[in-house]
Amino acid sequence: MSKTYTDVEQMICLSSRLIEDNRTVFVGYGMPQIAAILAQKLYSPNICQVYEYGAIGPEVATPFKRNMMADARNSYRSYSWMSMNRMMAQAQMGYIDYGFLGAAQIDKYGNINSTIIGKDYEKPKKRFTGSGGGNEVASLCWKTIVLMQHEKRRFLERVDFITSPGYLDGPGARENAGLPRDSGPHRVVSSKALFDFDVKSKVMRLIGLCPGVTKEDVLENMEFEPVVADKLEQLGPPTEDELKILREEIDPDRVVIGRID
Amino acid sequence: MDVLESGMGEVLLQDVDDVREWMRDKKTRALEEKVMDEHEAVRRFLKDGDYISYDLSSMVRGPMSIEREIVRQKKKDLWIAAKFTLLDTTLLVGGGCVSKIDVGFAGLGRPLFEAIENGIVKTIDWSNGTLALRHLAGAMGVPFLPARSLLGTDTFKHSGAKVVEEPFTGKKVALVPAINPDVAIIHVNQCDVYGNSRVYGPSITPLETAAASKNVIISTEEIISTDEIKKDPGKTTIPYYMVNAVVVAPYGAHPGTVPGYYSYDSEHLEEFFAARSLEELAEYIDKYVHSTSGHEDYMEMVGGDARMEELKKAEWIKEGYY
Repeated sequence: MSKTYTDVEQMICLSSRLIEDNRTVFVGYGMPQIAAILAQKLYSPNICQVYEYGAIGPEVATPFKRNMMADARNSYRSYSWMSMNRMMAQAQMGYIDYGFLGAAQIDKYGNINSTIIGKDYEKPKKRFTGSGGGNEVASLCWKTIVLMQHEKRRFLERVDFITSPGYLDGPGARENAGLPRDSGPHRVVSSKALFDFDVKSKVMRLIGLCPGVTKEDVLENMEFEPVVADKLEQLGPPTEDELKILREEIDPDRVVIGRID
Repeated sequence: MDVLESGMGEVLLQDVDDVREWMRDKKTRALEEKVMDEHEAVRRFLKDGDYISYDLSSMVRGPMSIEREIVRQKKKDLWIAAKFTLLDTTLLVGGGCVSKIDVGFAGLGRPLFEAIENGIVKTIDWSNGTLALRHLAGAMGVPFLPARSLLGTDTFKHSGAKVVEEPFTGKKVALVPAINPDVAIIHVNQCDVYGNSRVYGPSITPLETAAASKNVIISTEEIISTDEIKKDPGKTTIPYYMVNAVVVAPYGAHPGTVPGYYSYDSEHLEEFFAARSLEELAEYIDKYVHSTSGHEDYMEMVGGDARMEELKKAEWIKEGYY
């Protein structure tokens, strides 16, 4: 049977189910914006989305426009409108429970690269956007959730450039660097699987598989070997409700979620 | 306080007392009318080699008409604070105006990345938050502020920040140096002829950027009377004595939106995004910047009043603005 949804839809739906209600969520640019809208519409109506540009608690109006952040839809029906220094300060103060980010590459300790591919900073093979607010989100929120396409070139032993911190080089490294105590990556949602981080080694740990995906399929498409949980959760496919809201309300032109081939 | 680690990025450092003197000697407190056209504002207050900073982005309340004028006047060798930027840096780099970018977010699009990959422009990586904080330090008249981000990362290594053990409780913190841009360009909803300015909606750092900068060019959707300003002073974001020039630029954020007033121009943005190389971007710039004499002419080219009325109608969300 052929798939009735895209990889991106799978990732967005899966991550939307991970946000606890009644929590503050610092939402990053791109896919996380869509997942947060879906979460609020279906699962956690009382999350308070916060954005680096100053919106606190918006009920983001749909449809979602790609590449857009800080427009009137994004800021719709907020509790408050502030500005960047205050938002980052609030994360630094411990007010923000979840950080929600996308990334180009991630490594076994959850370090994120969104800056360059290649070792030569002056002349990178490929340049990306850089941190944006990602460094603050990954440094200062309590728990960070990262959304990633599952490809071998993206799940690396060591990223070319640590844009935003995961557990750096292992246990104790965040605290040694001066980063806030008890913060760090919490979940990684890929197009094939769900990961958390091994408590002791701080290495990414496979805990769930997307429908139709085997453990081998996941591991073959990663450069490093993650810790594997004793029991792997079988993750559900996107539900009818999720797909209906995604396709009819949030992204009717399917510019982000894509179409089935 | 010992420095434990230093980032290698180049920093434009300025002595806080020199900055104070500039603010005393070069920015007038007199109620002088500062309204001028964009050609004069950019010619008088922005020169080759300057460090420039803007608020928000090409997509939202960005000072696009002034950015286009900078390209039109072929300014060179600018150093840009790219905090929360989208197509702004892309346009300025495509116009050949930029030599260095302090990266918060190096948005957006292939032409910009092509310029970086080929070493045409130099980057110094920071983050949106630390660039915003550097403007706050600049706006406070202190040489630096501490942050608990950047730590442990390559972003730190390529920034100009330092890590110290702070002297009170002994924790490691990052220190980021103040930034006092040569020029701020900020698009606002309303201001009076002296520069008392109102920004509606959430924002990045409009006040910090204006306060910290040596020259401030305000472009505005409309001029309102000082009496109106004084009837509701809580709405004033930027006070007049920070401002050097006021440029009247209705729809100045086009193709971006001014939230609560007009929507973004999707069709035009698509044309902008369609430029996938510096060469293609140069064609876009020729067509919309170098072939237009100024903002008014540009607006005619992108559809004039009729198109703007459509974009106003498309902005159905009004609550909270004005």
